[in-house]
Amino acid sequence: MIAVRGIGWLAAARYGSVARGLQEAFPAGEGPAVLAKTGVVPTPYRNFGRLDPLSRNTIAAVALALGDAGLTGRPGETQATGIVGAARDGSLAADVAYFRDYLENGRTLGRGNLFIYTLPTSPLGEAAIQFGLTGPLLYAAGAGAPLGSALELAAELVAGGEAPRMLAGEAGADAALYLLVDRTGPGGALCSLAEARAIVEPGDGVAAVAARFSALLTRKGAL
Amino acid sequence: MTACLVAAELLTPYGEGIDACWQGLLAGRSAIAPVTRFAAQAFVSRQAATLGNLSYHGGESLVMQMLTPLLKRLAPQVPADSRLLLATTKGEIDLLEQALLTGSGDPAASVPARLLAKVAALSGCHDPGTLVSAACTSGSAALARAAALIRAGRADSVLVVAADAVTEFVCSGFSALMALDPAPARPFDRHRAGLTVGEAAAAVLVMSADRARREGRPILGTLAGWGLSDDANHMTGPSRDSAGLIRAIGAALAVAGVDAEAVGLVGAHGTGTRYNDEMEMRAFRSVFAAPVPVHSIKGAVGHTMGAAGLVETLMALEALRAGVAPPTVNLVEADDDAAGWVAARPRPVSARAALVTNAGFGGINSALVLRGGPGGAA
Repeated sequence: MIAVRGIGWLAAARYGSVARGLQEAFPAGEGPAVLAKTGVVPTPYRNFGRLDPLSRNTIAAVALALGDAGLTGRPGETQATGIVGAARDGSLAADVAYFRDYLENGRTLGRGNLFIYTLPTSPLGEAAIQFGLTGPLLYAAGAGAPLGSALELAAELVAGGEAPRMLAGEAGADAALYLLVDRTGPGGALCSLAEARAIVEPGDGVAAVAARFSALLTRKGAL
Repeated sequence: MTACLVAAELLTPYGEGIDACWQGLLAGRSAIAPVTRFAAQAFVSRQAATLGNLSYHGGESLVMQMLTPLLKRLAPQVPADSRLLLATTKGEIDLLEQALLTGSGDPAASVPARLLAKVAALSGCHDPGTLVSAACTSGSAALARAAALIRAGRADSVLVVAADAVTEFVCSGFSALMALDPAPARPFDRHRAGLTVGEAAAAVLVMSADRARREGRPILGTLAGWGLSDDANHMTGPSRDSAGLIRAIGAALAVAGVDAEAVGLVGAHGTGTRYNDEMEMRAFRSVFAAPVPVHSIKGAVGHTMGAAGLVETLMALEALRAGVAPPTVNLVEADDDAAGWVAARPRPVSARAALVTNAGFGGINSALVLRGGPGGAA
C-alpha cells in the first residue's frame, strides 16, 4: 500500500510535524533559520541564511517530514529517497530578484549566486544536498492544487519502483509542507494515498492542509 | 506494456523537422553563430544557436512562437484522450524580461502553470496536462514519465512537449557562472571551455504497443528503459565520482532488461564544460567494458536545456534507423578520456539499442534506453 508516513510543515508563525503532534511557534523575530540552529534541520547547515526563501522553507519542511517518519539521516550519508516539489509561481521571486539585479547593475553582469535559484528545482536540489537524497528529483505543476500534482507524481514513482520512498511537497515564500510517501504496511502509515489526495485537493494553503491531516489522525486515534 | 514513439515534430536552429536537424548534424555543420537578439558583448560568449525568424519581446513568447506551429502540425495525429506532459526549464522567461525592462506587463505571466495552460489549449488533448521540470534533464524526465505511465497501464497515449529559448536572462546567467565557451561549444574536445546556449521545441507522441498496433501507427522506436537520480552533491557542479549518472544508467538498463553490451550507441549530454564531459566519460567507462560510439549534438545546436532530452532522443533514433553515429560537431582533438569513444566524422553502427544521458543543475541525472533500427522499433 502506498501511504503517507511523515508530514512536516511551516507557516508564517508556526511549524510542526503531524505524526509527532508537534506544533510550535517560531520565537519572536525568527523564521525557519531557527530550525537550523535548534537541530530540527538535523545537520549544521552553514549556508542556511544565504539560501533563497523557497530553499530555506523547503529544507525546513523536508527536515520536519523526514523526522516525522523517523528517517533522520547522519551527516554525509545518502538515502535513496527522491523528491517532487511544487510552487504556485515556480521560481518567480528568484527570477525577478536575479533579473532586476542584473538590470540595476548595468545589464552586463549577472550574479551567479542569484541565478542558481532561478530554476523551480533549485530548492529541491538544496534539499537533496542537505539530506543526501539520491532518488528522482522533479518539479511538477498541473491545473489543480500544486501539492496535489507533486503527490501524484511522487506516488507514481514509488508505485513504479523507481524510488523506495519520495518526498512530495509545496513551498512558498512563507510556508511549506512536505509528505513522506512510501510503501508502508498498515501499521506504519499515517494515512492512505486516497486520504492524502482528498486533504490536499482544495489547495487552500499549508496551515489548512496541516490542520486537516492532524484532524484526520485525531479521528483515527493516532494522535 | 512497451512505450512506442509513434509521431514527432521538431524545430531546431537547423530549421523545421527531424530530417533538417539530422542532415545538419551529418554534414558536421554547426548552427551556432553570434547572437543578435540582445547585446551580448559583455558576456563571456556572444555565441548561441537560435532560430532566425522569432520576434524577441514582441508580445508572444519565444517558446510559444516555436510551439504554436509545431503543435498545429502534430495535432492531427494526437488522440484527444492523450495525456499531456510539458518539459521546460525557463519557459516564457522573456515575458518577465519584457515586463521588467519596460515597467509594464506582469512578470507572473512567465510562471510555468500559465505556459502549461497555453500548450494544453493547442495540444489537441483534453488533459490539462502536467509540467515536469528537472533542470537540463527536463525533456528526458518527461519522456521517462510518459513511458512509466504506459508501463503502469495508467495511459496508452501520452503527448510529450518540450521547449526552451535563448534569452538574455539565460545567457547572462550562464555567463555569470563562467559556464560559456567564448567559441562555439566543443564537447569532449581537449580544449573545450564551456557550453553554448541553444533553443528548440519538440513534441513526441508516445503510445502503448497495443494501441499503436491497433491504430496502425508507424513506430519510430521504443523507450525501453529509464532511470532518474540525483548526486546530492553540488548545485552547479557534477559528481566527482559519476555515481549518480552510473546509478541512472543502471536503472535504465534494468528497466529495459538488457545488459550494457546491448547498447551500441550513446547520445551523451556532452555540454562542452570540462566537468560535465569528464563526469560522463567516467560513467561510460564504468558502465561499458569496451568503447561504444558516443556523440554530443551540442556543438551543432547548442544546449537546448529543457528540450535537449527530446531532441537528443529523436537524433539517437535517427542514428539507429540510419545505422550511423552522427559526428560530434566542433570536435578537433578528443580529450584523453574520450579518445576512441567520440569522433568528428559520422561512423557506421549496427546497434539496435541506444543510451541517451542528460544531467542538470541540482545534481540531477537521467538515462534513457531506446530501441530502434531500420524500420523503427525492434
